[in-house]
Amino acid sequence: MFDQPSNLAPQVETPVTTDHKITAENVNVHYGDTHAIKDVNVKIDDKTVTAFIGPSGCGKSTFLRCLNRMNDTIDICRVSGLIELDGEDINHAKVDPVQLRAKVGMVFQKPNPFPKSIFDNVAYGPRIHGQAANKAELDEIVEKSLRSAALWKEVKDRLHAPGTGLSGGQQQRLCIARAVATAPEVLLMDEPCSALDPIATAQVEELIDELRENFSVVIVTHSMQQAARVSQKTAFFHLGELVEFGETGQIFTNPHDSRTESYITGRIG
Amino acid sequence: MIGGGRLIGRLHSFAGGDMSASTLILVLIALAALGFFLGRSRALASASGNAQALHSRPHFYGANAALMVLIPSLALFAVWTVVAPLSIKADIAQSVPSGLVDEGKSLDLLMTDVRNVAEGLDRAVVAGALTSDAALSIDTETTDVRALLGGVGVALGANVGPEVLKLAKTYRAKSASSSNIMTGLVLAAAMAGLAFAFLRTNKDFRARNTVEATVRATLIFAAMVAILTTVGIFFALIFNTLEFFQLYNWKDYLFGTTWHPHSGGGSDQPLGLIPLLWGTIYISLIALAVAVPIGLFAAIYLAEYASPRVRGTIKPLLEVLAGIPSIVYGLFALLTVGPLLLKVFGNEGLGWMQGASSVMTAGLVMGIMLIPFVSSLSDDIITAVPQALRDGSLGLGATPSETIRQVVLPAALPGIVGAIILATSRAIGETMLVVFGAGAAGKLSLNPFEAMTTVTAKIVSQLTGDADFTAPEVLVAYALGTTLFVVTLCLNVIAQIIVSKYQEQYS
Repeated sequence: MFDQPSNLAPQVETPVTTDHKITAENVNVHYGDTHAIKDVNVKIDDKTVTAFIGPSGCGKSTFLRCLNRMNDTIDICRVSGLIELDGEDINHAKVDPVQLRAKVGMVFQKPNPFPKSIFDNVAYGPRIHGQAANKAELDEIVEKSLRSAALWKEVKDRLHAPGTGLSGGQQQRLCIARAVATAPEVLLMDEPCSALDPIATAQVEELIDELRENFSVVIVTHSMQQAARVSQKTAFFHLGELVEFGETGQIFTNPHDSRTESYITGRIG
Repeated sequence: MIGGGRLIGRLHSFAGGDMSASTLILVLIALAALGFFLGRSRALASASGNAQALHSRPHFYGANAALMVLIPSLALFAVWTVVAPLSIKADIAQSVPSGLVDEGKSLDLLMTDVRNVAEGLDRAVVAGALTSDAALSIDTETTDVRALLGGVGVALGANVGPEVLKLAKTYRAKSASSSNIMTGLVLAAAMAGLAFAFLRTNKDFRARNTVEATVRATLIFAAMVAILTTVGIFFALIFNTLEFFQLYNWKDYLFGTTWHPHSGGGSDQPLGLIPLLWGTIYISLIALAVAVPIGLFAAIYLAEYASPRVRGTIKPLLEVLAGIPSIVYGLFALLTVGPLLLKVFGNEGLGWMQGASSVMTAGLVMGIMLIPFVSSLSDDIITAVPQALRDGSLGLGATPSETIRQVVLPAALPGIVGAIILATSRAIGETMLVVFGAGAAGKLSLNPFEAMTTVTAKIVSQLTGDADFTAPEVLVAYALGTTLFVVTLCLNVIAQIIVSKYQEQYS
């Protein structure tokens, strides 16, 4: 299953040197004088949901934003170390962050639909990257993305209504559809359910599980139940360090590190 | 409770009977302070010193008493100050001997003389040129009143006749007694308020709620004053405009295409609005064509690309530009931009331009004047677009400029439209710059290098100089004012509609 290229992904030469989608080695992040991420090493598999857990301020979101160079937009943030996507250094001078972000999509903590119609929200990425040759193809991408975000049935009759008029849960699924529409290879999700009620959360979680078929998903979450439900791999961050990384089942049932155990049993964080 | 009557008596004698307005206000403030402490201490006393047992915190009882002192007395003071001179004037006007008015002087002019003489006598007494007894017994037989008043700085247009002096003396006597009565009544109102608040104060009195209601009423009153003033301005304009339309055909005014007033011209002179309105619109359009793109791009640079240090330097500098008075821009237009344009487009150059004053000159400089206006407002609005929207767009692989064009600007659009409309209102209302830069002739032409003029500049020129306020060429200024009022009002309404329409869609 690892070798099959996803039908949504653009043609990328897959190097044989690695089985991993993303490899991070000795990643350090500084915010001004603050050392936010300390020597993090992690390998993220393709077609897998990887969860980053840890108490607030532990650096999990910061690390997530390293993976598509969103930290470039923050002036005082400096990233060092090696991060490879399919064996290519994403921080290399010849890599265009704009191209990278088309391959590594992102869904944010708060639903942030653009002040446009539902259709235009989803069509935003494909239009920018010229992924649709004509209107019919664009319609198809939009429908497919909305279906994969489990939003199609609810909005198909009002595609031209403003995206901001949807409910919170619908807005977040719209943002997921928007990210899916650009056919990324990796989807980064920064606490995608923290602004949602339990029903919407369940829908989004179900969606994440389905997205795994096509994408590598990395999700930051505060809810350990959510990490346990949706992920196959879990990384536990604490005070900027990656404390433990392994199979989700192992992390939650048999953690090797005492800090991980303290956190999952609710004694820290 | 102190004997209120005795206190009033004492204050009265302390101020010598005719208390000046500033003394009166100081006394009221002192009474309010007294009320504050009395109210507070009575409240505390009623709870035997235990502030916890009171309904409200002690300072609310004090504030309640202070407000009860100030509000009724100040209201009475304000009303009396406005109404009393009017009623005195009407009184005196009735006792004017009929012969005086028939000498070719209007009653208004006579009343102005009377008031000037009365005020002059007051000044003379204050300056020591007359004793107060001498001021009462003064007459034209023994004193040259005009010279006397000239000596204390009150210049009169003519010699003072015995009738006028007599009327002035009556005027003085009436104002003095009116101001005495007012002082007494205001102080009585203050004392009554104090007594009322004091007696009402006990530990169960809900002072906090009362103060809250009073504060709210005061705020509503302030808002009403602003609205009523606008209504008042509108009616003043409307009545004068109607007066103009009685002398002049409204069709000729609204649809006339020539503007050429001459004094004593009557109702057949051309007073067409169209050339002036066209000048206003043309100049404003040029100004906006300069200000909107430059201002908007500057705002986008400042909000999206500039480093905090650059932004911190440029933004205050731009705001300094906004503070330059428009007459200085007018000089700039007259002395720098006009001659410069003349060099290029004048007879030595392309030959399109006859003099330094032109629509282009005024429009360009007005555009420069409006740049900081547009950029500063738009910058605030663009900065207020949530970072989450930018992150979302950048996270999808959009470039910064795509993000700005497709996400940030649409989100900021209602605010930007508002900023542009505000700039338009300023452009339409601008006067000094036009007087200096655009010329004074009302003309209907498409050539932007020709001198034209605007509605505002013409209002000024019709009302200045030897104005006869019954002639149509002067009254037309009111019609122009009303036109301007209506145009800006429509513009604001359109702006509101646009803004609310986009807000429904985007927020």
